Amino acid sequence: MDLEADIVVIGGGMAGLVAGIRATEEGMKTILLRKGQSATAYSSGAIDVIGYLPGGTVPLGSPVEGLQGIASMFPFHPYGLLGFTDAESGTVSKTIVEKVRTAVSWLKTTLLSSNMPLFGDIDSNLDAVTVLGTVKPTCMIQETMWPGSLMLDADSVALFAGVRGLPIFNPRMAAQVFLEHQISNRLPPRKAGYHVLDLAPFGNNHNISSIEIARYLDNEDNLSVLAKTLKKQADRIGATHIALPPVLGFNRARENQLALQDLTGAYAFELLSFPPSVPGLRLQRGLETAFVKGGGTLLVGHHAEMDSPKSSIVKEVTAVGPKRNFKISTKAVILATGKFIGGGITGTENGIRESVFDLMTVSESFRIATSAIPQKLTNTIALSHMGHPLFGSGLSVDPQFRPITKEDFHAAENLYAAGSILAGYNYPAEKSGLGVAIVTGYMASRNAVDHVKGVSA
Amino acid sequence: MAKYDVVVIGGGSTGTAVARDCAMRGLKTLLLERDDIASATTGTCAGMISSGLKYMDEPDIVDMCSDEVVYFKRIARHIIEKNPILTPLLEMSDISSGGNFAEEYSKRAETRDVPPVLFLTPEDSLKIEPMLNPDLIASLYFEEYFIDPFALCMLQALDAKQHGADIKTYCEVTDILTKKGSITGVQYFNRITDKMESVKTKAIINAAGPWAHKIAALAGAKLELRLNKGAHVILDRRVVNVGVITKAIEGRMIYLFPHENTVLLGTTALDTWEDPDTLVASQDEIEYLLKSMEWVIPSIRDARIIRTMEGVRPLVPTWKIPEGDVTRGYEVIDHEPEGVSGLISFTGGKLVVCRHMAKAATDLVCKNLGVEAECKTHIEPLPGNSDDVDILALAKEYGVSQHTVERMRARRGSETATILELTRNHPEWKTTICTCEPVIEAELRYAIRETFPQTLNDLRRRVRLGTGPCQGTFCTFKAASILAEELELSGADFQLEIVDFLAERWKGKRQSIRGEQIAQEELAQGIYACVGNLDQALEELDYDLKPWEEVL
Ligand SMILES: Cc1cc2nc3c(=O)[nH]c(=O)nc-3n(C[C@H](O)[C@H](O)[C@H](O)COP(=O)(O)OP(=O)(O)OC[C@H]3O[C@@H](n4cnc5c(N)ncnc54)[C@H](O)[C@@H]3O)c2cc1C
Ligand SMILES: Cc1cc2nc3c(=O)[nH]c(=O)nc-3n(C[C@H](O)[C@H](O)[C@H](O)COP(=O)(O)OP(=O)(O)OC[C@H]3O[C@@H](n4cnc5c(N)ncnc54)[C@H](O)[C@@H]3O)c2cc1C
Repeated sequence: MDLEADIVVIGGGMAGLVAGIRATEEGMKTILLRKGQSATAYSSGAIDVIGYLPGGTVPLGSPVEGLQGIASMFPFHPYGLLGFTDAESGTVSKTIVEKVRTAVSWLKTTLLSSNMPLFGDIDSNLDAVTVLGTVKPTCMIQETMWPGSLMLDADSVALFAGVRGLPIFNPRMAAQVFLEHQISNRLPPRKAGYHVLDLAPFGNNHNISSIEIARYLDNEDNLSVLAKTLKKQADRIGATHIALPPVLGFNRARENQLALQDLTGAYAFELLSFPPSVPGLRLQRGLETAFVKGGGTLLVGHHAEMDSPKSSIVKEVTAVGPKRNFKISTKAVILATGKFIGGGITGTENGIRESVFDLMTVSESFRIATSAIPQKLTNTIALSHMGHPLFGSGLSVDPQFRPITKEDFHAAENLYAAGSILAGYNYPAEKSGLGVAIVTGYMASRNAVDHVKGVSA
Repeated sequence: MAKYDVVVIGGGSTGTAVARDCAMRGLKTLLLERDDIASATTGTCAGMISSGLKYMDEPDIVDMCSDEVVYFKRIARHIIEKNPILTPLLEMSDISSGGNFAEEYSKRAETRDVPPVLFLTPEDSLKIEPMLNPDLIASLYFEEYFIDPFALCMLQALDAKQHGADIKTYCEVTDILTKKGSITGVQYFNRITDKMESVKTKAIINAAGPWAHKIAALAGAKLELRLNKGAHVILDRRVVNVGVITKAIEGRMIYLFPHENTVLLGTTALDTWEDPDTLVASQDEIEYLLKSMEWVIPSIRDARIIRTMEGVRPLVPTWKIPEGDVTRGYEVIDHEPEGVSGLISFTGGKLVVCRHMAKAATDLVCKNLGVEAECKTHIEPLPGNSDDVDILALAKEYGVSQHTVERMRARRGSETATILELTRNHPEWKTTICTCEPVIEAELRYAIRETFPQTLNDLRRRVRLGTGPCQGTFCTFKAASILAEELELSGADFQLEIVDFLAERWKGKRQSIRGEQIAQEELAQGIYACVGNLDQALEELDYDLKPWEEVL
């Protein structure tokens, strides 16, 4: 069967979904292909814009500050590219900040209308607390994950509450790490305790996953037992705040948060966590819902296959599905297939490759990486603020976010790329993953829409 | 100051075997290991307790190995596995390399409870191992035993302890004290208490493997070793279900052995002068192994490479011959003639003969000290020596999957029931912490309480934590919190455990990183850096660079 679209988006993570939603908002007939799982769903759900400058070790007070630094020092960073369209150099940094602000505020509004309120903006970074008890700077979080006045109020007391048989969160160690960190930074709270709840969701007492508890708590009746114990434990240590793993529900998280506050008298919030991450899944689902509601066509389990764009324009994409294949004719394509997790980029002993069009890849420092041995793009130190250049490799794009060729020319007139498939930034170190995906998805979409409108006009 | 009859330096296969023998013979024994039990060469070896395929020209050693296998089967049943091995022949010239192997092997087959060497047709070979190159003209079939090197060392150390020995890990010998040509004591730095400590002793057995010459030098004695690096590549699944041995590109023999849920491809052999602690496998070694094995297992590159693993063989110093021609025997050296009495060192040897080496050295010490006691290490079993654990019944009784119980049995033998019993009071301890292996929380708690691990890396050696395809991505933080609870670590030390563990895993992952393993690493970076923010914590945590991380 054949389909027709104005815009085909390849990839259904944050970048692809933002691009897709924007395109439908602009009246484009949009088809989005998502092969499988995305890094977006694995994420903690906190939306980083920029937490540290590339190679930096000082947490940035605000994304704006970081964007200004990038504008002056890292022009080829995906955020830096946003400044290229304006010729006047004096306004580069302002342009970048405004573009990021537009995209991020748009996302906030969009998710609010799909019942997922977000907290924060690019004028300040928030301190988010993780299941390890560590603190990381991020830009926006789901309201249920905002720790409230915990780290501001001098008299606050935290209760870290885990669930027996849920191995992803150890409340005792988290409380200890968090308290040590706060004390050494002379910040509240001065006191933290922990408790392990005997929740046994659906009768299970071991091998429990966050997802299971979230489903359990999506049933209103199951909250009260939890609330009773939590209240007793909070009262025991005089807790003003209760830190929970992110399990408050898929559909009722916010209601549950408010109800817990009512029932315990303490402010309950969810910690940032690792996959399987309920907030990451909430984000993925929220975006997909918004896309479909807006009239977009979502083909899950379908992957795009293409030959390298021989002509200067991509007219057709093949969607390979479990049952059948579609040929989709289109006016523009947005490639948002992610990095190694998403599968947009792969690496073998023969080099770093882009998986759909076999586009040119580059290293973090923009050297051609098509035949680079992956190991050569790594550091000896496993975990450091420098990250591994391997995770900064990907596609090099022009200021319109069109992938470029060796000759420095766009690979195709109507092919755009967005999200973690792009080179030149290292999200694990910078803390910029979802932010770059949102902003580049937004901008690539705008350029694609302009192209299509130009074409149809 | 504490006084010992004998201090054993080194906690590898040799040192733990020596400590066990000494203790069983009633000597007051101390074992000092600068790191953890089996943390060096022994931890990187393939664990083949072989019939001597590679050294058929040394019949005495083949006999010795054969006997040792029989003893291991008696004393360490639960950590031993018998695997069929095929040597596929692609051309006639591959046959000539067999030499007198078939004959020598078959002579000793019966005592080891294996069939004699068989020659198989291509059809029969492929029936046994369908992944073989179908162009083979024949294959040799035989069987070899394998032992879990970590478990062996651990059990030898625990058994020594049960016989009264003191086992001190994280104690690095820094000086050997002598008086008028006789050793009197040992000084060491205790990394747990952060203090210099010393003890008096009548004798020292230097079982420091590839560092033995450095230990000898502390006493002013001379010891020469031929150090030879060997690397393995570990693949994520049982690419083959039987072992495969074949000729490498320059004619050496290399192997592909199924090991637990993985396969081990090895090994290289390069004379080395580098610090063994800094060594990693090179790109050339990885490709050498893949290229060599690809002839007989054409699909080898389809498997995911998990990591590489490398160690240094402390060979008997014979020069101007290829590594493969150096004796696989060992030497026990009494340094008395050169004026250092009381110090005994080893050169050469292998895991398979560690008990034999221990006996020879202990005999000598006993003679020197005038002690008369018989060696019983080949008769008395190691702890947990049992393979008749009723897996089905245990799985049913405790509500744990059969696979989990079976894997636990392979590590813990008869202790399995004791561990599962812990879940009666703590059903949540049935939670799987390491899903690749799998390992449940109860076993972690048990191993922490009973087998003195100091770090998460120590725990890995004891329960195979984080050794599967995900290389600790999902279990590191979970296991670290359990260790931290049990050892009452501070929050900072808990985070350091995570970072140290990831550093050690990265050492092996990095050299061969490609394919799926890159996505896996992106996930790890996502978890520990992007979300956990531990990449930014190194300075605050006082993280010490590891020897292989040092960038000068
Ligand atoms: C464990 C972890 C935690 C993280 N936590 C955070 C966090 O807290 N905050 C933050 O800001 N960032 C976080 N990140 C980073 C963030 O998740 C990513 O940077 C971001 O999600 C990238 O989005 P993307 O849309 O570019 O790629 P992805 O989300 O990976 O999406 C790529 C999509 O493309 C699809 N695809 C691939 N190939 C094809 C094809 N041929 N045809 C069709 N579809 C295809 C994939 O199935 C997938 O749906 C985290 C990352 C990880 C791994
Ligand atoms: C790649 C490879 C594969 C192999 N495969 C096999 C095989 O399949 N079968 C087989 O039988 N043999 C095999 N071998 C050989 C076998 O591994 C070694 O011969 C044997 O393990 C050496 O054990 P060891 O105890 O002497 O040395 P090690 O295991 O190196 O132990 C020495 C110990 O001394 C400690 N030490 C050093 N300095 C000090 C100090 N100052 N203070 C305190 N402690 C100190 C070290 O930390 C170390 O733990 C293999 C070897 C290699 C390299």
